[in-house]
Amino acid sequence: MKIAFSYPPIINSDGQKAMVSQNRNVQFFMKPTYLLPIIQGQAATWLRDMGYNVFWDDGNSQLKTFDCWYLDLIEASPDVIIFESTTPVMKFYWNIVNKIKSDLPHCTVIMTGYHSMRKPQETLRRSYADVVLRSNHIDFVLQKLIPYIDENSQWRENCPIEGLVIRIDENNFHDTGNFKQIETLDLSPDVDRDLVQWKNYAYENGNFLQTPGTYATSVVRDCMFGKCSFCRYNGPDLTFSMRSVQKSLDEYQKLIEDYGAREIFDDSGVWYRGAEAREFAQGIIDRGLNKKDCYFGFNTRFGYLEEDTIALLAKANFRFVLVGLEAADEETLNRLNKGYGPKDSEQNLKLYTKYGLFPHLTIMVGYFWQTREQLNTTIDTVKRFMFEGLARTLQVTICTPIDFTPYHQECIDQKMLLTNDYDDFDMSKLIVKTPIPHNDYYDAIRNIYGIAFHPKFIFKQIQFLFKFKKRDWQFLFTYGIRAIRRVRQHIFNLTKQQKNKVIK
Amino acid sequence: MLHKVLEIRNLTATAYVLRIERKKVSFKAGQCFNLGLKNSGVNREYSIYSGENDSCLEFLVKEIKEGIVSPSLRQVTLGEEINLHGPYGSFVIDPIKIKQVKFYFICTGTGIAPFHSFIRSHPNLDYQIINGIRSLNERYDYDEYHPLKITTCISREKWAGFHGRLTAYLPEIPIDTKSIFYICGNQKMIQEAYVILRKKKVSGNHIFTEAFF
Repeated sequence: MKIAFSYPPIINSDGQKAMVSQNRNVQFFMKPTYLLPIIQGQAATWLRDMGYNVFWDDGNSQLKTFDCWYLDLIEASPDVIIFESTTPVMKFYWNIVNKIKSDLPHCTVIMTGYHSMRKPQETLRRSYADVVLRSNHIDFVLQKLIPYIDENSQWRENCPIEGLVIRIDENNFHDTGNFKQIETLDLSPDVDRDLVQWKNYAYENGNFLQTPGTYATSVVRDCMFGKCSFCRYNGPDLTFSMRSVQKSLDEYQKLIEDYGAREIFDDSGVWYRGAEAREFAQGIIDRGLNKKDCYFGFNTRFGYLEEDTIALLAKANFRFVLVGLEAADEETLNRLNKGYGPKDSEQNLKLYTKYGLFPHLTIMVGYFWQTREQLNTTIDTVKRFMFEGLARTLQVTICTPIDFTPYHQECIDQKMLLTNDYDDFDMSKLIVKTPIPHNDYYDAIRNIYGIAFHPKFIFKQIQFLFKFKKRDWQFLFTYGIRAIRRVRQHIFNLTKQQKNKVIK
Repeated sequence: MLHKVLEIRNLTATAYVLRIERKKVSFKAGQCFNLGLKNSGVNREYSIYSGENDSCLEFLVKEIKEGIVSPSLRQVTLGEEINLHGPYGSFVIDPIKIKQVKFYFICTGTGIAPFHSFIRSHPNLDYQIINGIRSLNERYDYDEYHPLKITTCISREKWAGFHGRLTAYLPEIPIDTKSIFYICGNQKMIQEAYVILRKKKVSGNHIFTEAFF
């Protein structure tokens, strides 16, 4: 059986490519960042290991045009195609599925992704897709589903595997119920780097200070906190599960020694904390991987890492710490269920930077309740952190309610949404009612990204040089030039609505 | 938000109940809160132990030797303020189901906390607790449960009751598949208990889990 893990190149009217971005939602970029889809990579590896003929078909990272990608796929004529999609590209996927089913009627199309998993019937009604996964544990479900399809001609009617909605005919679907991750995460294999052509993702990523960089097989699936209202790792159908430290260390060793990775990032919603974080850092040191010219990075939450752990991480050559500063005012943090207060962020950032880590702030603006005062508090706080050297890089996004998260549901319930057109959910514009004009949030974005060009910020980076650490010099002279290009692009993407129409 | 510590009730060498002032906090039984020392910048999640109508907030805390938050909370002097954020989470009971079905609460160690909160909040709940612990002294506030409605499985001490893990006990008992099952505790136990229930033909839609880590 031939199986394709496919990502079509999707290009908007501005000539920008759809890329998976913050919170695994899709944003459009002229110069994209190619992120390796880890769970799909694990699924592909697992199926390949089971003897299936798997091919990795990422038209974006393979720099194909849409036509080239499509012709190649049709020529390959897979028995199964697996897609991942989110809200802003659902309509595109429904169309492409129908086109594929017309050209390859024998092919089974399986839809994955956070939108269709929450609304499986919609995708089956709006397209000829055969199966929708109701789980984000794609690897665990597919390694059961594919052999079942392979071995049972009546699989549509009889499939007992949980977490699926299967098309029986045009109007009848077989729902196999909720999926719960009940097996240990260690059963899913490390991503096979050759299978996914890892070097296609190793250079065009704004978070890498050194290249080639790569994403590790995530140590945590879903989120151990899992309560933030805007985040997709939230809901009773999601479970938290964690890989063993030693298995992950083995992968890091392989990535450094066999593949020559010089920066490894773990994109788990939240990485290890406490004892596991310390065991991992100590493992890196014990294996001598901290002396192989490779930086390490991860996502975390304010409040999760204490000083002893941070010191050990720094000793192990960790550098990049991506942390959400969704807002700096108490009301917004409470409404988002962040689980900490405004003061906690500064205390945590002071500790990260005390030991030479590079915090990267992910900021959001445009919550439906966000007042001018709240917005200004966030801007002022971010500026202060950047000028004082408490954070090194940042990204700002428009808070877009996505894929039926609690925040999305709240927007629906309170009639705050300005559009129901899924195309509008691409994070390029505000799509909720707000207490102040939308342009003020776009100005805030411009203002925050403008920090990168502010003399105070640049002076601080020059000051860092006198610590005579390689990473500080790389930051200013290598990363800095790349970053300016990306900052301009982000400002264009997120404020173009000021020039074009604004949804009213 | 800052809340004064009213009492620290030691249960064992590694477990205690932290009681703090409630102020105007409202919550649903089973939800969790983040607790941390004032100005420390570090916090951890704890399930609520007290009931929805109790005058104070209580948390059943297992002290982690190598931990940061749980040992320091135990050292707080009475009257001192600690940080509290929340409540969060959807590990709660559907009020419509309370009078309709029986609830099984399956837990290990301090994973009994949200179930204590359920029972205090809903006195007429039809429930059965299956509690897995290592030794007899881990039967926290045992007297507060109806003796026929709690089964204890003790793994490291022989006693008059079931000796072994709850995952050895669970396959042996008859289960009404129409019941609703809540599982709370360490992840390995949750995984094993889930498989056992599914083998007993319990629908995945009737099983709710909350992992302690």
